[in-house]
Parts: sequence; structure tokens; C-alpha cells
Amino acid sequence: MPAAERLSAILIILPFLAAIVCYLIRVSRIRSCVVLITGAMLITSAVWLIFLTPFSLSPQPLLGLRIHVIVQILDFFLLLVVLYFGFKHHHILIKALALLQIIFLLYFEFFVIQEKQDVAILYGDHLTLIMVLIVSIVGALICFQAIAYMKNHEEHLQLKKSRQHRFFFVMMLFLSAMNGLVLSNDMLVFYFFFELTTLCSFLLIAHDGTKEALKNALRALWMNSLGGAAFILALMGIYRETGMLELQRIIIFGNTGAGVYLLCLALFCFAAFTKSAQFPFQSWLLGAMVAPTPVSALLHSSTMVNVGVYLVLRLAPAMNGTFLSQCVAVFGGFTFLCAAALAVGQSNGKKVLAYSTISNLGLIFACAGLNSPESIVAGMLLLVFHAVIKALLFLCVGTIEQHIASRDIEDMRGLYTDMPLTALITVMGVIMMIMPPFGVLLSKWMAMEAAASNLYVILMIALGSALTVMYWARWAGTLMSDPFAGRFKPERQPFLTWGTLGALCAGAGLMSTTAPWLYMQMIVPTLSPAYLPPYTTQYGILENPYGAFAVFPLSLVAALGFVFAILAVKRAARARVVKPYLSGVQTGEPGVFTGPLNQPVKAEAKNYYLSSIFGEKKLTTWINLGAGVLLTLIVGGAL
Amino acid sequence: MTDTAVLIVIGLFAGPLLGGLVSGLDRILTARLQSRIGPPLWQPFYDVVKLWGKEKTVVNVWQAFCAYCYVAATSIALVLFFLKSDLLLILFTQAVGAVFLVVGALSSTSPFSQVGAHRELLQILSYEPLLVFVAVGIYLETGSFKIAALDTWNEPLLMKLPFLFVVLGYALTIKLRKSPFDLSTSHHAHQELVKGLLTDYSGSFLALIEIGHWYETVLLLGFCSLFWANNWIAMMILIVATYFVEVLIDNVSARMNWRWMLGYVWAMGLTLSLVNLIWLYVG
Repeated sequence: MPAAERLSAILIILPFLAAIVCYLIRVSRIRSCVVLITGAMLITSAVWLIFLTPFSLSPQPLLGLRIHVIVQILDFFLLLVVLYFGFKHHHILIKALALLQIIFLLYFEFFVIQEKQDVAILYGDHLTLIMVLIVSIVGALICFQAIAYMKNHEEHLQLKKSRQHRFFFVMMLFLSAMNGLVLSNDMLVFYFFFELTTLCSFLLIAHDGTKEALKNALRALWMNSLGGAAFILALMGIYRETGMLELQRIIIFGNTGAGVYLLCLALFCFAAFTKSAQFPFQSWLLGAMVAPTPVSALLHSSTMVNVGVYLVLRLAPAMNGTFLSQCVAVFGGFTFLCAAALAVGQSNGKKVLAYSTISNLGLIFACAGLNSPESIVAGMLLLVFHAVIKALLFLCVGTIEQHIASRDIEDMRGLYTDMPLTALITVMGVIMMIMPPFGVLLSKWMAMEAAASNLYVILMIALGSALTVMYWARWAGTLMSDPFAGRFKPERQPFLTWGTLGALCAGAGLMSTTAPWLYMQMIVPTLSPAYLPPYTTQYGILENPYGAFAVFPLSLVAALGFVFAILAVKRAARARVVKPYLSGVQTGEPGVFTGPLNQPVKAEAKNYYLSSIFGEKKLTTWINLGAGVLLTLIVGGAL
Repeated sequence: MTDTAVLIVIGLFAGPLLGGLVSGLDRILTARLQSRIGPPLWQPFYDVVKLWGKEKTVVNVWQAFCAYCYVAATSIALVLFFLKSDLLLILFTQAVGAVFLVVGALSSTSPFSQVGAHRELLQILSYEPLLVFVAVGIYLETGSFKIAALDTWNEPLLMKLPFLFVVLGYALTIKLRKSPFDLSTSHHAHQELVKGLLTDYSGSFLALIEIGHWYETVLLLGFCSLFWANNWIAMMILIVATYFVEVLIDNVSARMNWRWMLGYVWAMGLTLSLVNLIWLYVG
């Protein structure tokens, strides 16, 4: 068995086996060990895979059964499970979509597909590798933190019987599904994993079993089933047109201007938009925050939503130069802008994070749609940096929520007093989202320069970026808002929590400073043969004929500035402390001054959320309408 | 290599020096417009020196962090400008400074600081996209985001980007904290927010912020200079005229609220940018 095959097997099958063990052996010690060991092995295998990329292979039969047959059986089983949930919860849409997919699949598998050629079922290039690394490393870290989190979570809920076996079963299964999805080259296998992620997210969102959780989970299930139906439809069309089921060959087949081929690509994009919760399908991802926070972290950063952007980035070369591609760019830009606007109107921290995810994914779609070498690089880098930092921020909010029992930004006012280290790490996360020389901004810079040749897209990206700065800066400032932040004493948290937060924060920082190297080693190999590498790297400066971003020099200067500023903080800690100005004689209590009739008055200020402009009630309907029109344009325009 | 070093040093020193002088001239000019004599030219420097000598007091130690980061970011932005670097990169670096200023103000619990900080965020929201449009316009005309590309440009950009120059004017007015956009803080303390965003900065930290503001002023006037970069005399005339108009606007207009600012600046800025950018796309 070649090494690549062995590693792929570990990446896909090991978490699956771990999931079963988690489900069967309901002892928390053993479960924690299994999760830790599996995570460690996933990380090792993913890193090892770097040296074996690229590869393509057809695995040996498993237990005497050909892989195709196994996937076929599992596929129908999976759809029947979805159908079962449709019947159990009397959800007509889920029933209908599951039945539709079963019928399509039956027809497709038994009447359309002729003798299956011997195809490469698994394929790994550097894009696959990037995804595997994200899933395995970020995903595993989130699972580690979940061990500590779920213990607190269940204590807080005062459950009589632990449901953690079920939770970790699905978490592990999710990692298995994601690795399977990004490694598969055969579109039927891809489809199976695509559906498996849908089911996993349904189970995870419904985990707490409340009415709201169930309602939101069902919404996620039907929306993603819609995507699944579009996917299988597209697959049938593609097969009729090209006679191929291999992703790589479908891409190389290329655009001949033929209607059916483009229509199928448009349907794939549609499926991707549902997975990535783009407008008008955003509600499932917003609803997903009822689940325990590690679930949100997993869905938002390393798994579910990345499926969509991965698929479209993969297919980008096939739709290069088409109207479809332009439409995707405009659609992505639209989502970027609108989600940022909605985030400004939110005071719920998790909702801000959710809208920010939707917004950033929109930007990645815009990059894929712009389809120039620069924009593709931007999209891939953004995918990586967003995954790491969003995981970090979600886990931070989860930690904060367990401590203050609220996820509202207003309640996090002056969090630095209570949880200095968590607050600082959160602020670091925010800084890495909006400031140079960090990776997210580097990719945004690339995206903007690539989008400058498209008036609509650059317009929306420019406005969206300004809104983005607004909602992040506001949050960071609120965390530090404190009558006096004096001595720094880190609060107590479990080792797994500090370890995970620290690793993600340091990892994001390190990757940002080494971005030129990352670009050369990881991104450039993914570009050929469709695109030429757009940037040169010299002295750690990423440069093309019309732009330059000095990553190393700026990182160095930023680090120096940071050290100076920290020294200033140390000096300031010895300075005389005065009370904030309240335009009145202050009583002893913080924020209270002596008002009229010698009565104490508490001075308070809340953040601006501008809900009269950016509120959900004001905007959502119109945005959904706009997104609907654009989607119609995307699918209809391909006809 | 030595050229680079010289440019870095020029950038670091030109900022405070020119910025302080501009500020001094501004005060004299404003005074004359109001039939006063005004302070001496070097007054802004005296002010900063005096502030520096004051006893250090803080409301929250992170204010010190933010003040230093503000100066660092704005000075780096100006140095990048002198190195003829990438326009968008300069804009992003400048935005870092603006964000730290806001975060520092938010770290005080005084309602004056808090409201000032939020208004400053709205100001950032108003002008940031406009500056990006100006950069995009320059790119469409010269084919590059690098300022260095203007070295070989023989025609003033103003001819091709007249509306974008007006758009830049809006951003400049907001950035210089001139009426009608001096919402978050103003040079005069007689506003409803006391000193707004800067209320709780004091002593050397306030001095730092003043210096950072000088860097920003020079940077924005630098952007203006790009519009007539092929002739020194014309460039100077353009900058002086622009600044004079800024002072004039400051003196003849009243402070407005953020709703008006956001609506007006986005509507006007977007329309003017669009018209100018569409010309360039078509042309």
C-alpha cells in the first residue's frame, strides 16, 4: 500500500472509527483519550501528507467490497436517514428533497452510468492539502477544546445523563466526512461526503435538544438538502455532457461555451452557496449558534462552510472567462457588503461572528469569480487565515460565554477586569482580522487590487471593508473598556482551553509573518496549469507589476512598535491613575458622579449599533430579495 | 539602499515638522478669517512640548498602548508614502492608526470618550471607501497602485480625475476634523462632547496623538499632491489652494450630525467616484 493511500485512510477512516468508539464506550476518560489521540494522529498525518503531494490513487477494495459499492450503499443509507428525520419531525420539505435525491440517485446509478471505468477515486494536489491541513489541525484543536467546554456545558445544564458520547461521535464523524470530501476525486464519492456533512451539521445543531435547537437544525437540513439536490442534478447533467465523473477531468474538459456544461457549473455554485450560507440561505448558519460553541467554531471555520468555497475555488478554472464567473464575483461582493452591514447592526457577539463568516466567504466567492491569478491567490489565503482566526474567535466567545453567561457585546464591557487573558486573545484575534500586516488583510489587499478592474465588485468590497472595520473595532474597544485596567493576572482556565487558544493565536500570527513563504510553498503549486503565479517574493515583499505588500519588513516594524507600546503600558502602570471625565464631582464608585440635588448619577454609554439603518428587520428582506435576483441571474444566465 | 534609508528618515521627520507648521498656519489663517491675530506660527510645537512635560496620568493603561500604536501606524504610513509604495497598503496602515485611536478612547468609560469614539468610527466608515475609490482611480489611470508609477507620468492626474479630487477633498475635510465633519472631536473645546474622542487622553499621550495627527495631515496632503505630481510649482499651488478651501469650509459651516454625514458623504462620494471611474473604464 503506497504511503499516500495509508495516510488518506488514516485521515478518513480513523476519525470514523474514533467516532464509533466515542459512541460505544461512554466513559469520559477514555473518550477524552480517544479524541486526543485521534486529533494528534490527524495532525501528524496531515503534516506528513505535505511531502507526498500531489498524488492520485484508487484504493484497494475494503473488506472485499469495491469502494464504489460501499459508497453506493452508504449513500442510500444516508438519504434514508435524512428521510427518516423528515418523517420523524413531519417536515414536508426535507421529506420531498430526500425522496427527490433518492430517485435521482437510483436513476443515475442504475440506469445512466454505464460500466464504471477504473477512475482515480482520491486525488490530492496542494489545494486538497491546504484543506486537509485546515480540517485536521483546526478541527482537531476545536475538538480538544470541546473536551473542556462540554464538561462545563453539561454541568451548567445539569443533565442527569451525559450526552457527550453522541456529541463527540458526530464531531469525529464530521472530520472524517470533511477529509473524505476534499480528498475525493470521484464525484459520487464527493456527493456522499457532501451529504454526510449536511447530516452531521443537522445532528450537531440539534444536539442540545431544545425546541429552538431542533427548529434551527431542521432549517439547516432542508436548506442544505436543497443544495444536495442541486448537486446531484448538476452531476447528472455533467455526466450526460462529458461522460465523466472525475472532478479533475471535468475541470480540464473546460468550458466550450456549451449551455449544459455551464448550467451544471451554475448548479454546483448554487449548491456551494447553500453550504456556505450565502444570502438568501444565511438563516441556517445564524440559527446554528444555538448549539454548543465548539460546534459553531467547527461549522464556521474548518468544516461545513468551507465546502462551498472549496468547491467553487476548484471549479474556478472551468468557468474562467464566462458570464457565470462574473456573476459569481458580483454575487460574492454583494454578500460581502450586505453581511458586513448586518454585522454592524448586531450586539450579539456570536451573530457578529456569524455575519462576519458569511461576509468573508462572500469575499472568497468574489475572488473565485474574478478568476484572475491574483484573486485566486487571495481567495485561497483568505480561506486559510479566516479558518484559523474564526476558530479562535468562536472559542474565545465560547469561553467568555461560559464565564459571564451572556454572548452580548454590551455584557462584555470591561471584560479585561475579569478575564484579562481571554480578553487580550480576543482582541488579538480582532486585530488579525482587520489590520496589516496580518494575513486576512493581506488577502483583502490582493482581492481589492484584483477587483479594481471590475467596477461593481470593487465598489462593494470598498464599502464592505469600511463596515467590517467598524464592527470589529467597536468590539475590541468594548472588551478593554474599564475604569482602570491595572495589574495583569491571567484567569484560571483548563489547560486544554489555554492550549487551544494559544495555538490558534500563535499559529495565525506565525502564518501571517511567513505569508510569502506560505504563498510560494502552498499556493503557487495549486495555480498551475490554469493560472500563472502572479506575485514575486523578494526580501519577504509580495510584489506584482502594479502593487507591493511588504510582509516581512512591515511585520518587523509592527513587532518593534508592539514592543515599544507594551513598554509604554508598563511605564503607564506606574503613572497616577485618574478617573474618567464625567463633567461632575465623582463619588467613590466607578462611573458615578454627584448630580442635581446631590443625588448620585450613574454615567453610562452604550455602543452604537445603528439598528435604524443596519438592523436585521430593516435589511434582511431586501437583501434576500437582491440575492434571489442575483441567484436567478447566475442560474438563468448560464442557460 | 542608502536612498531608502534617507527616504525613511525624511518621512519620519517631515511628518511632525511639516504637519506642525501646517497646523500653525491653519491657526493663523483661521484667526485672520475671524478678525483675530492668532497665535505664533510655532505655537503647535510649544503646545506639544508643554504637554510632554506634564505629569503622566492615565485612565486606563491601554490608552498608552493605543497612543503609541497610533503614532507608529501613522508614521509608518507616511514613510511608506515617501518610499512610493502601494497606495492601498498605505491606506490600510493609516487605518490601523485610526482604529487604535478609537480603541484607546473606548477603553475609557467616560461617556464623552465613548460617544466620541463611536462618532469617529462613523467618520472612518464615511471616508475609508472614498480613499479606496481614489486609489482605484489612480490605478485605472496609471495602471499601477504604486506611487512610483507617477514618476514617469507627464500629465497631471487632476485632468483625468477631477471628480475623484473632490472626493478626496471630502475625506480630507473629515480627516482634518474640520466642520461640518468635526463630530468626534474638534480643535475647539466648546462642543457638546467636551473633547469627544480625546477627552481622557492627557499629558504626553495627548502630545503623541497630536504628533500622529500631524503625520496624517501630511499624508493626506501628500495624496493631494499626487494629482499634480509632474510639476513642483503647480503641486504646491494645488496643495495651498486645497488647504485654504478646507479652512474656508471650516469657518463657514456648522457642525452636522452623523446621519447627515454618512448619507451625504456616501451619496456624493459614491456618485462622483462612479462618474469618474466609469469615464476611466470606458476610456
